[in-house]
Amino acid sequence: MENATRLDLASGFLEATQAGDDEKADEILAMIAAERESRLFEEIGKLTRQLHDTLSSVRIDSDLAGIAEHEIPDAKERLNFVIEKTEEAANRTMDAVEEILPLSETIRTRAGQLQQDWSRFQRREMDVSEFRKMGDELVDFLNELTVNSDKIHTGLNDILMAQDFQDLTGQVIRKVITVVQDVESSLVNLIRATGVSAAPKKQVSETEAEGPQLNAENKENVMNGQDDVDDLLSSLGF
Amino acid sequence: MNKDMKILIVDDFSTMRRIIKNLLRDLGFTNTDEADDGQTALPKLEAGGFDFLVTDWNMPGMQGIDLLKAVRAHPDLKELPVLMVTAESKREQIIEAAQAGVNGYIVKPFTAATLKEKIDKIFERIETTA
Repeated sequence: MENATRLDLASGFLEATQAGDDEKADEILAMIAAERESRLFEEIGKLTRQLHDTLSSVRIDSDLAGIAEHEIPDAKERLNFVIEKTEEAANRTMDAVEEILPLSETIRTRAGQLQQDWSRFQRREMDVSEFRKMGDELVDFLNELTVNSDKIHTGLNDILMAQDFQDLTGQVIRKVITVVQDVESSLVNLIRATGVSAAPKKQVSETEAEGPQLNAENKENVMNGQDDVDDLLSSLGF
Repeated sequence: MNKDMKILIVDDFSTMRRIIKNLLRDLGFTNTDEADDGQTALPKLEAGGFDFLVTDWNMPGMQGIDLLKAVRAHPDLKELPVLMVTAESKREQIIEAAQAGVNGYIVKPFTAATLKEKIDKIFERIETTA
């Protein structure tokens, strides 16, 4: 309502009151009140809408709160589990290898020795007692070979079984991917609700450690294997 | 190249240290010691007695590249042969390592043959320039 109308109402009210016309005065008062009320309602309407929007983003926040409180610590635990499992598998495998390698080495050495002895025999460079000795060594060797073959077989099976980590870690990692996707969509919703625009991507120093590169073939400045590295170093004079 | 030379293996993953230790043993190098970070490696090197350093790049305390630079800056250690064995494979990183004075650079995953080849090459070069 414009100020002119207000003045009219005000003077009208004054007149009516002075003239003792209570009915008219009340009527004008009611009109003034109505104007104030509609303004008030407009303001309340605005505030309500703001409150509603804030509440909606708070609801999204509480999704995020849930994610922060449960899913993310859970995801961290899961990833630590992956590290533990893979370390365990690697060590189990290396244990088996460290046990088998010496056995394999022993077999190789003794077989080589017997080969030489046999060649000597074939060239008739061996006397009877040496031949008998070779016979005994052969028996020993074959006995030892039987025992060692069993151990090697067991060891190889242990190595096979140690690979069971992959199935478990695979499942766990899939679950973590789900968590990451949840976080991603909650964050996207929050960003949309609050109208925050993405900050420019942080500039990573060219030589900052990044761990193993995925998709090396498609990245221009990433070496794809030892040969690429060697080529680069040669070109630098190494 | 002396098979008895004392080698320090530095990597924050114990499984990788174990692999390298085993590979070196297969090549005849049995005199090895380990450290789990550049930070724990440096004092060991400074205490003396090491003839060769094999180090990773990405480590939480002191990175391999910084260990390398510290070694090259140290009066007693500057001639120490250093081989980096790492997953870091960006051009800029390899250049930085080369400029910092690394003697060899192996990217993971690697083979036993590659390790042998690079070690031989490093000591061949040292012996010819000696």
